[in-house]
Amino acid sequence: MSEIADFLKDYRVILLIVLAIGSIVSISVLGIQQGLDLEGGSVIQIHLEHPVDQNTMNTVVTVLDRRLNIFGVRDINVRASGDQDVIVEIAGVRPEEVTNIVGTPGVFEAKIDNQTALTGTDITNVRPYQITGNQWSVPFTVSTAGANRFAQVAQGKAGQPVEMYLDNQLVSSPVLSEGLATGTPTTEVEVSGTAETREAAENEARNIQAVLQSGALPVKVNVAGVSSVSAELGDQFRTGALVAGLLAVIVVSIIIFLRYRIPLLVIPIILTSLAELLLILGVASVIRWNIDLPAIAGIIAAIGTGVDDQLIITDEVLKKKGSKGGKESKRRSATMRMRIKGAFFIVFTSAATLIAAMLPLAYIGFSRGYAGIGILAGFAFTTIIGVLIGIFITRPVYAKFIERFVQ
Amino acid sequence: MKIEKLMESYKSLIAIPVIITLIAVVILAVNGLNYGVELRGGTIADLQLQEPVSQTQLENIISNGLGTNDVSVQLVGSNQSTVEIGGEVDPGILRNTLNGTASILGFRSVGPVLSAEALNQIFWAILFAFIFMAVTVFVVFRNFVPSIAVILAALSDIIIAAGGMSLFGIPLSLASVGALLLLIGYSVDTDILLTTRVLRRKEGTVTERAVDAMKTGLTMAVTSISAMATLYIVVVLLIPSAEVLADIAAVLIIGLAADVLVTWLMNLGILRWYLERGR
Repeated sequence: MSEIADFLKDYRVILLIVLAIGSIVSISVLGIQQGLDLEGGSVIQIHLEHPVDQNTMNTVVTVLDRRLNIFGVRDINVRASGDQDVIVEIAGVRPEEVTNIVGTPGVFEAKIDNQTALTGTDITNVRPYQITGNQWSVPFTVSTAGANRFAQVAQGKAGQPVEMYLDNQLVSSPVLSEGLATGTPTTEVEVSGTAETREAAENEARNIQAVLQSGALPVKVNVAGVSSVSAELGDQFRTGALVAGLLAVIVVSIIIFLRYRIPLLVIPIILTSLAELLLILGVASVIRWNIDLPAIAGIIAAIGTGVDDQLIITDEVLKKKGSKGGKESKRRSATMRMRIKGAFFIVFTSAATLIAAMLPLAYIGFSRGYAGIGILAGFAFTTIIGVLIGIFITRPVYAKFIERFVQ
Repeated sequence: MKIEKLMESYKSLIAIPVIITLIAVVILAVNGLNYGVELRGGTIADLQLQEPVSQTQLENIISNGLGTNDVSVQLVGSNQSTVEIGGEVDPGILRNTLNGTASILGFRSVGPVLSAEALNQIFWAILFAFIFMAVTVFVVFRNFVPSIAVILAALSDIIIAAGGMSLFGIPLSLASVGALLLLIGYSVDTDILLTTRVLRRKEGTVTERAVDAMKTGLTMAVTSISAMATLYIVVVLLIPSAEVLADIAAVLIIGLAADVLVTWLMNLGILRWYLERGR
């Protein structure tokens, strides 16, 4: 009994227990974000014609996001991936909703009295919208040619609607102001209007801005890849992964039992594996890391190396248990320390090589975005996290347990 | 003991893994590697069949609907199917084409830009993974011959695993690349165990230490391989659509099995050669 109390007092054991409880709390409060391949959904990858700087990339993302919103695609998440790709995620399994909109040219046309006054190519720059009370305005710049055409068409038509079309769909029709109807060309143009509430004004302004920007997407874009997983298939993946994990634990336990014939050994090995799983999921839940299929593969890899490390520790400790008897117990525990130190040399080196091998993949994922092999970033990252948790938190506790109880 | 007797002829035993590695190189050169959809470009769709339909029927429906002959259909289980179509496909058109026959469970379409980029990234990822692993091994052991022995063992493992992929038709995909990268870091575990025990431990003879290390190493291999075999079987029986997981498992099984021979015949052989050369 005193041995158990002693074991529980060890700072590594306490640390593990605290972290395990923390993980449970975090998972139950924050939940675990699942990747689209488990939850169901679609990922559309959009490739830009050439790499762009951060500013241009922000514009592209905003424009695409607004354009998709205008066309009524719900639950979307548009984000940049590196300097040449944009990822669009939607909850549904109809990626064509997105590909069709992104694939369309985004032709912008402003007509007054059925005459084309401006087209998307005339717009050179769109500035942020402004709101004063219920009034909104979106200033933008047009080319000289565009300014001339607009001036001609607009002359004397103050008060008439300017009908704005995006891909032949009427998206807005603000009223032409007097200042723009004088016939004098100006490259600084502003669309403005009034709405019922401030919120409505903001909405309208945002839409107009997006439409104007859509016509002026700074770089040509292409749909480069589409992937979509139904919720059903996601369910199958999740169940399958759970069953595989469970069976793997059972199979590994049987092998360990056959090898050592010490039932007491199987328990800590399973418990350590479960603790590693719990802590990895806890970390994922705290940092809002998506658990997707590659991440599950990473968890399996980390736990797999964990079992290997536990075998190394066990063999090192059990080997020729040294001389028996109380007199030499001091020397015995000294040898034990040495052995565990030796085992951890192997454990740390193995972990270092695995992390070293995973670093390039993690680097590509973080720096170049989730395009191409970046999809595997989750695999690399989860493996690295899992291995770090293992070597610094769970495996030392396992060693402590073996040292105390299995002799 | 038999094992110990056998170990005395370590020099000739080195030949076994070397020959297997060379065979793997030949298979790779002759047979090449298949590319998965992500690397080749094209479309893969997992379908849930709504009515019984034969492989040819489904193939006809899809090629008529999409106007392409580059369609290959595989029936999975009793009511699922995996379809591969050359080139990019609009998922909406495919959905309409299959209306009434099947619904789309999963869909993946990859254009040529993406696939070219992925191939390029794979090359660098594998190269740097190997270099980083090698540097780590050198830094830890600071001893030229033993370090090189570990690195050569990892190289052999990768080549044999790739040869196995070529032989069994496992495509080079993002998933199997993940498995190869994992193998780079994972397969050296037993080599590190062996090198540490033989070089750093003082008790017993070299053979005794090696046999000790081998006991631990083989248990590690058996547990890892059986865990992966379990994963493989579950995927094949239960979730055939998660082929990527089966591919990862298969590559690791081949690689880890190869590692048993490579570690205990080649790496150990080189180590003993190195230790006994001075005497």
